[in-house]
Amino acid sequence: MTQTINEVAIVTRQLSRSFSIRQKSEGLAASLRNFFSPVYKTVNAVCDLEMSIGRGEIIGFLGPNGAGKTTTLKMLSGLLVPSGGSIEVLGFTPFNRDHDFLKSISLVMGQKQNLWWDLPPVETFEIHRRIYGLSDEQYRTRIDELVEMLEISDCLETQTRKLSLGQRMRCELAVSLLHQPSILFLDEPTIGLDILMQKKIRSFLLDYHRRFKPTILLTSHYMDDVAALAQRVIVINYGRKIFDGRLRDLTDRMRPEKIMTVIINNGEFPCQLRDGCRLIHQEGQLYRFLVRREVVGELAACLYNTGQIADLTIEDAPLEEIIGQLFTDNGAAAASAPAKTP
Amino acid sequence: MTSFNAHLATLRAHFKIIFTYRGMMLIQAVRLLLLPLVLAAAWLSIQKTAENPYSDADYLLYYLLVPVILNLTDSRLVFRFPMAVRDGSLSRELLKPFPPLSGYALESIANNLIQLIYLLPFTLLAGYAISDRLQLGHLNLQLLLYMLLAIVLGGLVRMLISGSISLVGFWLEDVTTLNLILNGGIWALLGGMIVPVATFPQHIRCIAEMLPYRYMLSFPIEIVTGRLSQAQILQGFAVTIFWSLLFALIMRLIWKRGLKVYAAYGG
Ligand SMILES: Nc1ncnc2c1ncn2[C@@H]1O[C@H](COP(=O)(O)OP(=O)(O)OP(=O)(O)O)[C@@H](O)[C@H]1O
Ligand SMILES: [Mg+2]
Repeated sequence: MTQTINEVAIVTRQLSRSFSIRQKSEGLAASLRNFFSPVYKTVNAVCDLEMSIGRGEIIGFLGPNGAGKTTTLKMLSGLLVPSGGSIEVLGFTPFNRDHDFLKSISLVMGQKQNLWWDLPPVETFEIHRRIYGLSDEQYRTRIDELVEMLEISDCLETQTRKLSLGQRMRCELAVSLLHQPSILFLDEPTIGLDILMQKKIRSFLLDYHRRFKPTILLTSHYMDDVAALAQRVIVINYGRKIFDGRLRDLTDRMRPEKIMTVIINNGEFPCQLRDGCRLIHQEGQLYRFLVRREVVGELAACLYNTGQIADLTIEDAPLEEIIGQLFTDNGAAAASAPAKTP
Repeated sequence: MTSFNAHLATLRAHFKIIFTYRGMMLIQAVRLLLLPLVLAAAWLSIQKTAENPYSDADYLLYYLLVPVILNLTDSRLVFRFPMAVRDGSLSRELLKPFPPLSGYALESIANNLIQLIYLLPFTLLAGYAISDRLQLGHLNLQLLLYMLLAIVLGGLVRMLISGSISLVGFWLEDVTTLNLILNGGIWALLGGMIVPVATFPQHIRCIAEMLPYRYMLSFPIEIVTGRLSQAQILQGFAVTIFWSLLFALIMRLIWKRGLKVYAAYGG
């Protein structure tokens, strides 16, 4: 995918942010000493982060707890000043908080509400309509669209604090999208929601993206979110980027094996196992193998020809596991190594 | 225009919310009314010195109006803003194309205006009860308009001063003590809460007239008592505007620095 300069929505160069945290001390004497000459520790939340995101892309922004994802989103949306490096979002420097910049972005954080707690969501919509200067017509069409897509028509008139988490989250999304931002930062938008609601939010986001093509930068610890939405993932750990590319490439690189589960009709296992196949589990007639991609076809064909199989499934190792593996030091080395060509 | 509509919508939203918490307002009204009542009783019962320009009628009018003016120029920024920094809710204001402090200021203004619902009936009732002891013959439309303007400017300067102090909340978790030292204490004395500024000894009065505190409480009432000349009134406006501009500038400077240390907690 090649992009010309004006198609780039977000660029960061050597973006860094550190926090100094005051060290707590044990005991009265130490506390007193600390009070008069405090000891600070520096936490490097984000280090030399380089990224370039094209307009309309959906990026999954991954990393374990404390990796620096939220800190990065806060810098990209202008809440935090970087301690080093530079950011350009739609040509703006976020921290300057230009009026036009703020009008083109939205940041949704799982727990932070944009909705006014003591008022029904529809009142917040009305206020936002004025803050963002929407015309009556724009407002009506967008509200109608969002209410329909998010299925929130019955929550609109209820005081926000009385809504369930799922209802609130959907209203929250509606408020954040009312001004049709061209860049959407989503920080764990499905946190705490049940599987069904997670699915709803996902399919809403996909649908919304299809219609309006915003650039979306999404963090989530639910790999289903990432697999369903993100065309490309950026993985960070300890504030540093360790992978940037297609999810497919990441899984191929981290897990060149597939999991093959076979149930045979009866008797001995009918095929000869060759290099690249490893039995990892057996229970009665059920066999589970870890099979290298290039031999998957061969083994499947052999099994098929014996006419002995009752059931056969081939799947990838769970994403959670792959990502988890990435966060170990060995994993990080594997991800940043050049891809093996089969 | 967009901005004006947005401010109006925000103010309206605050009205609605405050109405859902009516009980709080009543308690606050009682608090506002109590002190002036005590002070008025005290001043009426002591012997006045020869150079004191205030008659009993002046004292009565003064303390009758103190709760209303006190309330109208009140600002809650010192409580509200550091809280927003601490719990990170300032973040959502910073993300909108709307001046972040306006929301908190409007919340404060909405509160003050609604408080009138409790204060005005009491003031009118009390005024009626003591009407034979008040002297209002000198009142005219011009004086009332001056008073209104003085209240608006007084509210503005108080908002800007407490706003400047509240922005220290970027660095300190709690600024109420700081506010008490820099603002509250001096304010109670030199603003005329306890002793009307007009009855101060000459040299203290001169100082009080140059400081901003008088304009947040005493000045509008002094206008109503009819004891200020036109020149004195205009001079008062000039002083208020001077302090407003100065603190607007200070606030801006602190704001710019504060944003850089803002940690945007939460998320
Ligand atoms: N305001 C702050 N003051 C001090 N340290 C902070 C602050 N915000 C974040 N940090 C530290 O910076 C690091 C990165 O935090 P961040 O919130 O960006 O992580 P994250 O990737 O979003 O994690 P999670 O998945 O848990 O949300 C952490 O070590 C955190 O403790
Ligand atoms: Mg986070």
